[in-house]
Amino acid sequence: MKIRSLMYHFKDGFKNIHRNRMFSLASIATITACIFIFGVIYSLFQNFEFMVKKAENEICVTVFFDEGLSDAQIKQIGDTISKREEVSSMHFTTAEEAWNNFKSEYFADFPELAEGFQDDNPLANSASYEVYLNEASQQDALVSFIEGISGVRQVNRSEVAASGLESAARLIGYVAIIIIAILLAVSVFLITNTIVIGITVRKDEISIMKFIGATDSFVNAPFFIEGITIGIVGSIIPLGILWLMYSRIITYVLSKFSVLQNILVFLPEGEVFRVLAPVAIILGIGIGALGSTFAVRKHANV
Amino acid sequence: MIILEDVVKNYGSDVPALNGINLHIQKGEFVFIVGKSGSGKSTLIKLLLKELDPTSGEIFVNKKNLNKVTRKKLPFLRRDIGVVFQDFRLLPDRNVYDNIAFAMKVVEAPNRKIKSRVLAMLSMVGLLDKYKSFPNELSGGEQQRVAIARALVNRPAILLCDEPTGNLDPANSNAIMKILEQANKQGTTVLVVTHNMDIVAQMKKRTITMSDGKVISDREKGGYFYED
Ligand SMILES: Nc1ncnc2c1ncn2[C@@H]1O[C@H](COP(=O)(O)OP(=O)(O)OP(=O)(O)O)[C@@H](O)[C@H]1O
Ligand SMILES: [Mg+2]
Repeated sequence: MKIRSLMYHFKDGFKNIHRNRMFSLASIATITACIFIFGVIYSLFQNFEFMVKKAENEICVTVFFDEGLSDAQIKQIGDTISKREEVSSMHFTTAEEAWNNFKSEYFADFPELAEGFQDDNPLANSASYEVYLNEASQQDALVSFIEGISGVRQVNRSEVAASGLESAARLIGYVAIIIIAILLAVSVFLITNTIVIGITVRKDEISIMKFIGATDSFVNAPFFIEGITIGIVGSIIPLGILWLMYSRIITYVLSKFSVLQNILVFLPEGEVFRVLAPVAIILGIGIGALGSTFAVRKHANV
Repeated sequence: MIILEDVVKNYGSDVPALNGINLHIQKGEFVFIVGKSGSGKSTLIKLLLKELDPTSGEIFVNKKNLNKVTRKKLPFLRRDIGVVFQDFRLLPDRNVYDNIAFAMKVVEAPNRKIKSRVLAMLSMVGLLDKYKSFPNELSGGEQQRVAIARALVNRPAILLCDEPTGNLDPANSNAIMKILEQANKQGTTVLVVTHNMDIVAQMKKRTITMSDGKVISDREKGGYFYED
């Protein structure tokens, strides 16, 4: 393919789109819908995953010990727990620290109340390990293991808010994949037909080109440009819409559900679009190229 | 330049359209092919363009065995051959200049060559003043001259014409023949299928007569044999 022919093909390709604008628009609209849904789902999942990760990192199991356990025994229990593969990190809180934390949390405004306890630590038996997990789903296994260790009095677990959400998200994901697959098929079908119409309209021209000695790739190039252009336009439009919507929706959600501000942490749009934009454009180009290929194959011998 | 050896073409009916054709046409010849309707003249042209493949036999065009030309190489074979049809086959949405330039763009000729070649062809067919006209603004004779200019603009070795004057009056037909003769003088091998016996008699060229898919006579200098 020579460069000077490229200009010619681009002109021809755009001429096809223009001549065929109703079908071109229908194809663009379908691809737009397809990639828009893809973008919405992708953004949702990215954010969801981000929140779950964040919540999981905060999940911890707190381990308390039987009365009168020596420091050495506590340390031994700590070693046993830290060898488990569910554990990502551990933190030991001494009884004094526990008491100090308690005081600063509850008696901050009334230090004189705490004075009444003097040096008699009411939380003398409240030394604890805070065990952080790699994944929220491992909590049950770890808790039952720790409960089995002798010298352990009590194990407190975190509420796993995300675990129910995860299966719901998976279901939404499957539904989305099916919808996207259907829209993908419809997009390819519409592009194919749009281009077939273009080929049919230009049948005489193509047969003359072939008599003159045009190569197949020369004859087909404008149809590929047509399909790929439709694909790119059909991916840029939804990306633009998503970009405009993204921060607005986040602001809206945060204002509506201000109670959940701690859980609802969103990714910045740059983070989402860094992957979404190229994937969407490649998807658009792919749909266009596939549609063109089918169309050209169908009419290989005009 | 063109060689056919025992060429048979059967479209699937009882009688083949071409039934054992042997033919040698030298470089630089001007040849008429005549024969009654259905005798296989157009079929012969289609085989030379490899628009169809023979049922059996071998065809050589410009030393290439057409049975061995792949689909990928076919365009390059066709660049050696110019074609002119009875119905002109111009692109209605392009003017005269663009119709001719189209043939050069399609074979990816360099732009700087296109303008000078197209203008040379326009002057050869006498249509320099009409270069901006669209096909529907031209007479049949003028349209056919544009078609010939388009067929010759890439300097093919061979020019195939299937009834180029079929839709034209005698004056226009003579003008077309003058142009074909001029192209032939410049070295192009020319093959003209025609029903116009006046022209054949007048031009005194080699004339091949076909009947029922066979060559029934092949005479130099316009001596033709027509069995109607
Ligand atoms: N595509 C086809 N399918 C089947 N039969 C065909 C086809 N094309 C031509 N034929 C038959 O082959 C024979 C030769 O046809 P061809 O067109 O070569 O004749 P011709 O000499 O060009 O006639 P004319 O002078 O009318 O143009 C005819 O009997 C015709 O009916
Ligand atoms: Mg014919």
